[in-house]
Amino acid sequence: MNLLVHLPEAHALVAKQDLPIPAWLFAWAASIVLVVSFFALSAAWRKPQFEEERWRPSAAWLTTVLRSWPTQVLCGGLAVLLLGVGIYSGIHGTEAPDRNYAITFFFVTAWIGFPFVSALFGNVFPAFNPWRAIARVAGGAYRLAAGRGMRHLAYPERLGRWPAAVGLLGFVWLEVVYGSSGGVAVGLEPHAAGVAACVYTGYTLAMMALFGREQWCARGEIFSVYFGMFSQLAPFGVKDGRIGRRRPLAAATHWATSVRGSTAVVIASIATTSFDGAEDGAYKPALEHVEKWFTEAGIGPLATIRIADTIFMAGTVAGVAIVYLLGVKGMQSVPGAPPFKQLVRGFAHSLIPIALAYLIAHYFSLFVYQEQAQFTYLLSDPLGTSTTNLFGTAEYGIDFSALSPNVIWYVQVAALLAGHVAGLTLAHDKALVYWRDYRRASRSQYWMLAVMVAFTCFGLYLLSVNAS
Amino acid sequence: MTLASIVIPSAHLGHWLWVFYVIPVLIVVGGIIRSTRAEKKREREEGRSEAPKRGPKERR
Repeated sequence: MNLLVHLPEAHALVAKQDLPIPAWLFAWAASIVLVVSFFALSAAWRKPQFEEERWRPSAAWLTTVLRSWPTQVLCGGLAVLLLGVGIYSGIHGTEAPDRNYAITFFFVTAWIGFPFVSALFGNVFPAFNPWRAIARVAGGAYRLAAGRGMRHLAYPERLGRWPAAVGLLGFVWLEVVYGSSGGVAVGLEPHAAGVAACVYTGYTLAMMALFGREQWCARGEIFSVYFGMFSQLAPFGVKDGRIGRRRPLAAATHWATSVRGSTAVVIASIATTSFDGAEDGAYKPALEHVEKWFTEAGIGPLATIRIADTIFMAGTVAGVAIVYLLGVKGMQSVPGAPPFKQLVRGFAHSLIPIALAYLIAHYFSLFVYQEQAQFTYLLSDPLGTSTTNLFGTAEYGIDFSALSPNVIWYVQVAALLAGHVAGLTLAHDKALVYWRDYRRASRSQYWMLAVMVAFTCFGLYLLSVNAS
Repeated sequence: MTLASIVIPSAHLGHWLWVFYVIPVLIVVGGIIRSTRAEKKREREEGRSEAPKRGPKERR
């Protein structure tokens, strides 16, 4: 294995950079770009542009091929197979997380890969959702046996997307807090990941049986909601069963307005990524202090780490939520503002590009490195026991020289900047809908500018601490 | 004075690096508060200057 850089405990695998200017100056430059973008939007963007998606259906044959039964069976079958391999290798494979297929497949290939793909190509996850595929087969079998479809309970709409938001926190907690053993990209024990996947499979299938497959995927299934959120940014989508093109970012405008808990999903996404980046960097000294208190109180070392991490993770979620809510509160001070609750939901979609930007900035390098492992030695030797070599690639390794530290840094800065400018644009567009008068709309967006600058500087600070 | 005594104790400067990241946020928030106050003041003054021009019915 070509180990050209050291492996820090954080997810962003980076070596020391050699930047022409101090890292904090990038934060200053990014803030200036945001302020300039804000004034440019105020001057030139005077009518809402994203309310209409400008839907253009694609050629009929494309929809026929991509949504055909053979394609769906192929994608669903592949997803079920890969989930099965993940569970089996997690439970029966090596306990070394970096040598076991389960960890990289669940927490890198799927968890990071689907948001990237969804933001580019639209909501592809339903086709690859293994639980949906199982539920479809089970539903078909039931219909055949009983002669009628399964009856479901009405989903309580007041819950909205809250089950997915809570599940998202739980999933990241499992990965980052429960599995915080350090030294490798994802420290969770493969056996725990395998068992968790089994439990989640049972829970999801039960909820699908209770509330209906599509209803649960739209509201409660963590991964469908999470990946679906990023797909709202994509220039492709499905409408009335037909694939087509739309204006990029436009679909996001109505994603959060009508369903409760949507704001919580996007806030949880930003906060959990931030915590993952800060855990071994910016938060480290403070975490060590808190851990010392718990140790002195007689609590065991592992429990100490988990309790301290949980507190800091909850604090990060609260911090991100407070910054956003303060921005909304500021907006409400502008005459003609809608009620606070409407504003909270109405502007939540402007955080989706930021969530994606944080994801790229924190995990881009990890994804590039770990996917080399995924498609070489982890596929050939999923259990990591050196007993199989299915594709003849079990002896391959990760080339850490594929990305230089400077390239990683510039990608991170570019992602954060692009994400925040996109967020600012979405927020400005929504403000024009709510205020109508572009002067008042621009005034309301002073506060979103502050939110965007705060998130940009916070994101760059986390990255700079991890890299130094 | 020996050389050792004039060396700046820079070992812990890294702990204060976050200050550089907070400065742009403070500048933007300060600018927002200042411009918001200025706009409210201008609106009040415009309201005051328009009030005497209105007739008794309009004022009611």
